[in-house]
Amino acid sequence: MEKSRELTFESPTFFQRIKSMLGVDFYRLFHTPLFYIFLAIAAIIPAMLIAMTGMPGPNGEPSTPLFTNVWQAIAANTPIYGFEGIDKYANLNMVFIFGGIMVSIFIGHDYKSGYVKQLFTTHAKKEDYMISKSLTCAFAMACMCITYLFGAIVAGAITQTSFSVNAGNLICAILGKIFMSLGWASLYTFLNIIFRRYFGISIASSFFFGTGVLVIGIGSIAGNTPMLNVFLYGSSVYACLSANFINVLVCLIVSVAWAGIYNVLGTYILSKSDVY
Amino acid sequence: MNAIEIRNLSKSFRGMYAVNNLNMTVPVGSIYGFIGENGSGKSTTEKLICGHLVPDSGEIKLFGRDYTDAGVRVRVGALIENAGCFPSSSVYQNLRMQAINLGLPSPDEEIERVLTIVRMEDSATLKFKSCSLGMKQRIGIAMALLGDPALLILDEPINGLDTDGMRIMREILVDITQTYGCTVLISSHILGELEKIATHYGIIRQGRMIQELSAQEMEARARIFTSLKTEDMQGAKQVLTAKFDNVRQEDGYLRVYDVDDTETIVDYLYKNGHVISEIKKNKIGLEEYYVELMSQKENE
Repeated sequence: MEKSRELTFESPTFFQRIKSMLGVDFYRLFHTPLFYIFLAIAAIIPAMLIAMTGMPGPNGEPSTPLFTNVWQAIAANTPIYGFEGIDKYANLNMVFIFGGIMVSIFIGHDYKSGYVKQLFTTHAKKEDYMISKSLTCAFAMACMCITYLFGAIVAGAITQTSFSVNAGNLICAILGKIFMSLGWASLYTFLNIIFRRYFGISIASSFFFGTGVLVIGIGSIAGNTPMLNVFLYGSSVYACLSANFINVLVCLIVSVAWAGIYNVLGTYILSKSDVY
Repeated sequence: MNAIEIRNLSKSFRGMYAVNNLNMTVPVGSIYGFIGENGSGKSTTEKLICGHLVPDSGEIKLFGRDYTDAGVRVRVGALIENAGCFPSSSVYQNLRMQAINLGLPSPDEEIERVLTIVRMEDSATLKFKSCSLGMKQRIGIAMALLGDPALLILDEPINGLDTDGMRIMREILVDITQTYGCTVLISSHILGELEKIATHYGIIRQGRMIQELSAQEMEARARIFTSLKTEDMQGAKQVLTAKFDNVRQEDGYLRVYDVDDTETIVDYLYKNGHVISEIKKNKIGLEEYYVELMSQKENE
C-alpha cells in the first residue's frame, strides 16, 4: 500500500450494514457458552415439569402429575390470560422469561467489555444495533423454544405421558410462540438499551415483563378478553392448543408491531444519549 | 482537505462543560498529538469524534463529510480507554468479530496482517484476559487497524507501558502512518514520547483549544538555553545580564537563553573572574513548552 493513496469513502447500504452487524452478533452467539447453557436450560424445564411432578413422594405415596398430556407443557388448551394454576401457566411461555435473562447478559457484555465502542465507532446508524440485536436474540429464543420442545418430547416419552393432540393446532401453537420471540427479544433489547451495563437491573426488569404479571393482573380483573392479545404476553397465551391460522397471524402481527415500536424507541434513545 | 475539522464543539455533563466551543483541525496524513492535563477534555473530544457521545452543539467533519456519515465512519479505527474486547474470547475471535463488523472480504488475511503490524503473530490463540497490558494495547491498535482505516483515534495508547512497550508502540505508529498513509489522532500525557512521533500538536485546556501548531512551528519556537553554576551566582548573573538579553536564575541554575555558542558564555564569565562549576546546553522541548504555555494561561 502506498503512503499517498486516494481517499474514497463508499457508504455501505442498509443491507450491508445490517449484514455485517448480524454477522458479528451471530458469530458471538455461536461462540459464547451462554447460548448453549440457555438452550440446555430450555430443554430441562419441560423435562422437570413433566417427569418430576409425576414422581412418587418421599414415602412412596403416588403424586398427581402436573400434565396429563405432553403438549400441555407447550401451551394451555385455551387462552387463559389470568392465573388459573401452575399447570395452565407453566409452558413454552417460560422460554420468554429465561430468554430475557440470556438477552440481558448477552447485551450487557457488549457494554461491560467496551465492545459496544467498536460497534458504534464504525456504525454511525444506531438502528443497526437495535435491529441486529433484536433479530439475533429472537433467533436465540426461537432455538430455545425448539430445545424446550425436544425436552418435553423426550420427558414425555420416558414417562409415557399421553401425546394425543390435533397436530394442526399444535403446529399453530408452536409457530405462534416462535413468532412471539421477535417481540420479546425486541422488548428485552430495548430494556437493555436503557440499563446497558447494569445487567442486574435489566435481568430484573426482563423477568418482571417476561412473567406477564401485568397482563395476568388485568386478565384476573377483566377476565379472558381477547383485547389482551395486543400485549406480548397476551398473544403468547393466545398461541394455545386450540390455535389455528388466525392465532398464528395475530401472534405474527403483534410480535412484529411491538418489535417495530421497541426498535424505533430504542434507536431514538441510542441516538440521543451517550454510549457510556 | 482535513481529516478532522471541528467547529464550536461543546459537550457538558450535568451543567459542567467538558468541551467548550472547541475548534480543531487535523491535516490528512498527520500524527496529531493531542495534549492537555487530566480533565481538560481530550478523551471527551475523542469520544465525540467517534460518536460515543452526543454533542450539545457544534460541527464535526471527517474528511469533509459529516461525522455521522456511514461511509466515513467505517474507515475510522479507535482505541478509546481500552481495546473493547471480550475477555473470555481469544485474540483471534475478537479480531474476527471486528473484521466481520467491518464487512471485510478476507478476514483471516486481514487479521494476520494487523497482528504482524503489532508484532503479535504468535498470540492469536491467547485469551484476551490472559494478555499483558502492553499486549492488550497492541490488540486494541490491531482492532483499530482492521479494514484499512483512514483515521486512527488513540486515547492514551502508551499509558502504563514499560520503556520497551513504549518503544514498540512508537515504532508501530510511525510504521502505520508511513506505510499506510493513515492519519493518527493521539492523546498522551507522556510528552517526551509524543514529541518523537507527532507532526502536529493541539493543546487543550479546560475544554478549549488554546494552540494548534505543526512540529516545524514547534521546532521554531523551541529555545536553546545554557544552564550553569558558579560560586558567586549573583555576581555572575550581573555580568551575564550586561552582555546577554535573556538571563534568568531558575531551579538553582543561571540560564542564558537563545545563545547557541556556549563557549562565548564560558569565555565571557572567565574573563570577568567567574569560574563555572557545572554547565550544560539544553533545548526547550514539548514538555517545557507545554508547561510554559499552561503557566501563561493560568496567569491570564
